[in-house]
Amino acid sequence: MVVRYGQILAVTTRILTELWRTRRSLIFWMVFPTLMLLLFGLIYAGGSSTATSFDLTAPGVLIGAALFFSCLGGPISVIVAERERGTLRRLLLSPLQPSAYFLGIVLAYVCIALAQTVIVYGISFAFGGRFHGSVLLGLAIVLLSVFSFVGLGFFFGARFTRRTEDVNGPVAAFGVPLLVLGGTFFPVSILPPFLLTLAYLDPIFHMNQSLKAVSGLGYTAAQVSSHLIFLVAFAAVSMALGVSSYQRMLEQEKRA
Amino acid sequence: MNMIEVRHLEKRFGDKVVLNDLSFAVAPGEVYGLLGPNGSGKTTTINILADLLSADAGEAWIQGEPISEKSKYALGIAPQMISIYRDLTCEENLRFFARLYNLPAPRVEERIRELIAMFRLEDYRATEVAKLSGGWKRRVNMAVALVHRPSVLILDEPTAGLDVSARFELWELIEALQKTGVAMLLTTHLLEEAERLCSRIGILSRGRIVAEGTMDELRATIVARQLAIVETAAEERLQQAAASLGWTWRRRGDRIILWLPEEMTLQEFVQRFVDIPLKSVALQEVTLEHIYLEHTGSYEVPDLAMV
Ligand SMILES: Nc1ncnc2c1ncn2[C@@H]1O[C@H](COP(=O)(O)OP(=O)(O)OP(=O)(O)O)[C@@H](O)[C@H]1O
Ligand SMILES: [Mg+2]
Repeated sequence: MVVRYGQILAVTTRILTELWRTRRSLIFWMVFPTLMLLLFGLIYAGGSSTATSFDLTAPGVLIGAALFFSCLGGPISVIVAERERGTLRRLLLSPLQPSAYFLGIVLAYVCIALAQTVIVYGISFAFGGRFHGSVLLGLAIVLLSVFSFVGLGFFFGARFTRRTEDVNGPVAAFGVPLLVLGGTFFPVSILPPFLLTLAYLDPIFHMNQSLKAVSGLGYTAAQVSSHLIFLVAFAAVSMALGVSSYQRMLEQEKRA
Repeated sequence: MNMIEVRHLEKRFGDKVVLNDLSFAVAPGEVYGLLGPNGSGKTTTINILADLLSADAGEAWIQGEPISEKSKYALGIAPQMISIYRDLTCEENLRFFARLYNLPAPRVEERIRELIAMFRLEDYRATEVAKLSGGWKRRVNMAVALVHRPSVLILDEPTAGLDVSARFELWELIEALQKTGVAMLLTTHLLEEAERLCSRIGILSRGRIVAEGTMDELRATIVARQLAIVETAAEERLQQAAASLGWTWRRRGDRIILWLPEEMTLQEFVQRFVDIPLKSVALQEVTLEHIYLEHTGSYEVPDLAMV
């Protein structure tokens, strides 16, 4: 099958243009992590230096307060809006490949994620925080997180939500507890043992732990390999789920 | 070769038969009007041509191609529901859809310029669709259907919800498009629109085409040369008098419609019914509305039509 780069870029450009026009989501995705980082960075600085506290706060905030909301919530609302406004049927009239549509959206959220990464680490640097490990490895963890979230976003958007109002409830009800359990806003060392065991099943836990270890403590890939293996597997499963739910939704849309 | 060809299509939703041996064809350069009551299967037919729905039986071709990925390149569709991106400008909408057809960038830009000129969108090219009025949204909705220069265009109720002048402008656009050689299939509930725009009309009823042709051909399907729309308290006597003249009649509401086998003046008409009290009489030529109502079985018909 020919890869239609033109179609992928057309979709990416469209999503980014729409986000830029409406601004509301963009502002939330940029301001929320900024405030959370400042807040937790300063709270945890109580005992030690701001440098160390931002070192260890930035990764959790990036994953949980930035990528989670943009890369999971974003694709859900794209799909819901597309279905609500009849544009999805119109896309079906064109030769747009479903895979190009999927990749176009992934690429758009990779761009958003990179912007969020720059903002979060920019602020962290301003307070003396540093990136201690391999930047490439850190980037790989960020990308795996983006793929996991976008895949899940397609899954939820295509399967369970019909209207825009359907989006926020489930994200808050199931997502936010997973964020907390995954140690987004505090060190997992304070979790009681049974919750810690449970946390191992939470993908956000592995994203946070691996990025904290690499970025805050300079760990190598080998030292975080168990998290990486989990994340690679999870990203793959989530993308597969996303693609198959999306394809199923297209079939349904054709019969509607 | 026909631009659209539909042969013996059948489509059922559960027990409900929607298309029942539907056949018609749209020739190059033609504007074919598909008329039919609500729920008669017009949109279902379009969805089959668009590959959004599969038929239970029968076949369809777009420009000689069976419905497939390939036929998508020859076909443009402006759906009845306005389906464009409200947060994008007119130009951005056109560009996005054009890029989905894998055209090289210079061709895309050239086509956008052409469409903006054709649809007179110059003043709104950089305006977000959400800020446009309904008439302009419809224009953009239609322009998007043409981004890939399709040779066949399907318009599903293109003027639904438009005011008189916006509708008029869209008609002019459709006529201009026809001159460029695009073959069109158009559905509408406005018979005036069909009469003005369509070179041929097919009337869809109970899943098949019950009458088809140019306006003249359609008129010939009705034996009347002229119609008399009569209002009277003495309906039975009028009907008997008509029957004795060998004329048939129809009823719509409180009017009796008499089919006149030849043209006559009001005077000549009234002379034939001197002893019947007539409240009002209007003579008119056979309209598309009458033909349509006749073929879709919307009239009350005498038990023994004496034609
Ligand atoms: N997906 C579906 N499932 C079940 N029935 C359907 C479906 N789609 C259409 N129908 C039925 O098929 C019939 C034809 O519908 P269609 O939309 O083709 O009519 P139409 O001629 O376009 O009508 P209108 O003039 O109101 O637009 C209707 O009775 C409709 O209820
Ligand atoms: Mg319809």
